[in-house]
Amino acid sequence: MLRYIAIILFFVAVNSCNNQASTPSDSKTNYASSAVISENDSMLKIPVIEQRMAIIKEALSQEIPVLLLNNADSIQSVAQDVALKDEQFRTNILDPKSKQPFLNEIFNVYNARPQEIPKGYDNKNVYRVEMYNYALNLTTVALVDISSKKIISVNNYPQSQPDININLTDLALQIAVNSPDVIKALGFKPGEKDALMAATKTSLNRTKCERSMHLCVAPTFIKDDKALWAIVDLTDLKLVGVRWTNVGKPETAERISERKLLFDKIMECNCKQVKSIDKIGWKMNYVITSSDGLRISEVYFKNKLIINNAKLVDWHVNYSGTDGFGYSDAVGCPEYSQAAVVAVSEPKISELAEGGGFVLEQSFKSEQWPMACNYNYVQRYEFYTDGRFRVSAASLGRGCGNNGTYRPVSRISFAGNQNNFSEWKSADWQNWNIEQWRLQDAQTIYTPEGYQYKITDATGNGFFVEPGNGQFKDGGRGDNAYVYITKLHADKDEGETDLVTIGPCCNTDYKQGPEKFIEPKPENIQNSQLVFWYVAQLRNDDTKGREYCWAERYLENGVYKTHTYPCFSGPMFIPVNK
Amino acid sequence: MRRFSYIALVLLSSCFAGCEEKIDMDEVYQIGIVPCQRQPQFFGTTGLNIKRSALSTSEKRTKGLVLVQFPENNTDTAGRKTWQHLSWSSFGFMGSITTDENGNVYTIPVPVVNMLDNPVEKQNTIYKVESTTGEMKPFAVLPVNITAETTNPFGLLGIYYDCSAKQLYTCTVAGSTKQKENGIIFAVDATTGKITDKLLGKDAVALCVCGITGEKRLYIGSAVSSDIYSIKLTKAGKFSGNVQKDISLDMLGPRGDDKARRIRFDKNGDMMVYAVEFNYNLTAPTEKQESLYRFRYADEDKKWNFIK
Repeated sequence: MLRYIAIILFFVAVNSCNNQASTPSDSKTNYASSAVISENDSMLKIPVIEQRMAIIKEALSQEIPVLLLNNADSIQSVAQDVALKDEQFRTNILDPKSKQPFLNEIFNVYNARPQEIPKGYDNKNVYRVEMYNYALNLTTVALVDISSKKIISVNNYPQSQPDININLTDLALQIAVNSPDVIKALGFKPGEKDALMAATKTSLNRTKCERSMHLCVAPTFIKDDKALWAIVDLTDLKLVGVRWTNVGKPETAERISERKLLFDKIMECNCKQVKSIDKIGWKMNYVITSSDGLRISEVYFKNKLIINNAKLVDWHVNYSGTDGFGYSDAVGCPEYSQAAVVAVSEPKISELAEGGGFVLEQSFKSEQWPMACNYNYVQRYEFYTDGRFRVSAASLGRGCGNNGTYRPVSRISFAGNQNNFSEWKSADWQNWNIEQWRLQDAQTIYTPEGYQYKITDATGNGFFVEPGNGQFKDGGRGDNAYVYITKLHADKDEGETDLVTIGPCCNTDYKQGPEKFIEPKPENIQNSQLVFWYVAQLRNDDTKGREYCWAERYLENGVYKTHTYPCFSGPMFIPVNK
Repeated sequence: MRRFSYIALVLLSSCFAGCEEKIDMDEVYQIGIVPCQRQPQFFGTTGLNIKRSALSTSEKRTKGLVLVQFPENNTDTAGRKTWQHLSWSSFGFMGSITTDENGNVYTIPVPVVNMLDNPVEKQNTIYKVESTTGEMKPFAVLPVNITAETTNPFGLLGIYYDCSAKQLYTCTVAGSTKQKENGIIFAVDATTGKITDKLLGKDAVALCVCGITGEKRLYIGSAVSSDIYSIKLTKAGKFSGNVQKDISLDMLGPRGDDKARRIRFDKNGDMMVYAVEFNYNLTAPTEKQESLYRFRYADEDKKWNFIK
């Protein structure tokens, strides 16, 4: 009976991590796991957003490309007009480099507070004009004397946001009430009146998007004794996600922000909990690790164990312009982890466009990417209906310079204890007797199919290894990879559990870390359990039209978007069927 | 018999309370506000201009402690110089620095980007730099309880020297997990390196002792939340009474969820909180931006108010 209950509880816990918000059934439910990170990157197709986009485009085409205060009275109109004629107030209206307009909007115009009014001015004539720059997350405030129609002062406040006005409040509400994630969580489509709309900062405004540095608000819906926070990004006009909280006293109420929503959900559902896939003959478990990226384990194809586990141990980034300069980054969980670049989304499973199969993908992103010295890495496992699989990784830039070489260190622990490893030499397969490494370079000889290695069991079944040579139609230009084969030991851990950083940033030779398990005395690896290490070497490029391992920001409708130029690497494993 | 034990216990505890050495109030108000630390004597042997030099652990591409001479002005590009004792880079990357009234320097290891130079087993050692020689050596190894569930890469996080009791305060978060805050704040005798007291269950980055409220208190910037707590200290520097919450940085600043990295008090007694993003990971420091928040104590309502 107890076992039966335990199974049901486990099932409920797993289900609550499915990124499909529903009303938590009791107050003990972990609200972090029932939170939803919105997966929809595009805007909702609802009239208010279409109208908003039309207004933005119209405003950006004007000589002074600023969204004016809607329904301004005559005094407010005068004040904003005076402010916008001032050169200093308009300093951040255009991107100084491209001269393209940033999206700026007058949020509020109101009688200045007594403590703000300089000596010699009549209180009733001094107005405060607040303008927000969405692209730079910057507030510009002007004090205007409407009697003389002159500017008194202008101040910029970087990384700050004014109180939002009623129009933006309505817009946030419309996005929230029309979002499928909100409707699903509540179990019905809420009306606008269901959100807590007090004009104080303690309700709608009490949230921030700390990572994106966008303007975010949180319409909150009460259901029974719980509150559903819907975090709305007013810069990108989309829902960030939803999360339930208990309704408590205001002073103890929990504030949900972008970072809290993302991190708590990922920690609870993807770092603490192992998930499973059972698709097209493939079965496996997967989890985000503390420092080895997304780890797959117990990988079966047609009920045969293929891989004990596979993971991404490190990213080594070396800049050739400066001797010894670079980083050795681990990727992994967002909190309580040894990761330098962290997961900010959940693993995604999608169908492969070609070849019939599916992809399991995880991205890891620095907070200010694509700004300089920030990184974005993608880990991708591909599984095909015919038994092929690929373990790949990409950098999406941008790093600290255009002279960087990325070296992702992947580790695959193959199942079976009677394995052998061989390399294609001219016309035949040559067996490796001891642990060693090899570099894929211009002299490398491949089979006619493009295979370089073969790993087989006692029956002769196994996999050919086809390294990246730019043939995988993912933009990859070849891996120039180091391959290492080491023996798997039952009595000592050489990376089966989470590995701390395995090697330094800036070695340009084979010393990327796995050699530690080979040298000084390579072991015999014939008829053994084997570990396959793959270290691609990817040189970035920022040349126009040739970008690689790179990212560029550009302005679209006055806010920043990002072009990415990933450099995918990684070998394909093709079944050897005897 | 039971009654006798009870009376004895009462007498004993009242003696503890009553026997506690009182601190002179004038002295209390000075704690944390009037600087007592001295410059290390070895500064004079480095060849740098000591009037514009300071110790740092955050110089780019430099491991460990480094003495930095700052330029006289923006045009003085050659004026920036650094000096490192041979021993200063031997123990990995370092974090907080504190100095005593004799110019001895204490610092703690904190990993940067990865753990290559900061192995887990060395993360709970306080290092001391001798004022006279400049040599850095391990000073005190603090006990920690690291379990299999521990995945956070940090050990000690903050360190502060209180001249009034000659105590070092430091905190280890080595045993903390997402589920449980297992931090230990240690009071360590700066003469002997012996632990004199412990406060369990608090993860802290910033630590500072101040008497501006009329009580000598240790201010504790939480590593878990944006809160700043405090606890009363005895004259000898031991913990006394309960931890109280004084301040929250929630929703302040550009990020709204900063954690206090450093707390100091200016000559007027205003609390200056230097705060950053902190999530128990090794996110590159180039990403991290620090904000300064100022608070002023209001005697009338016994509260710290945000100034700017």
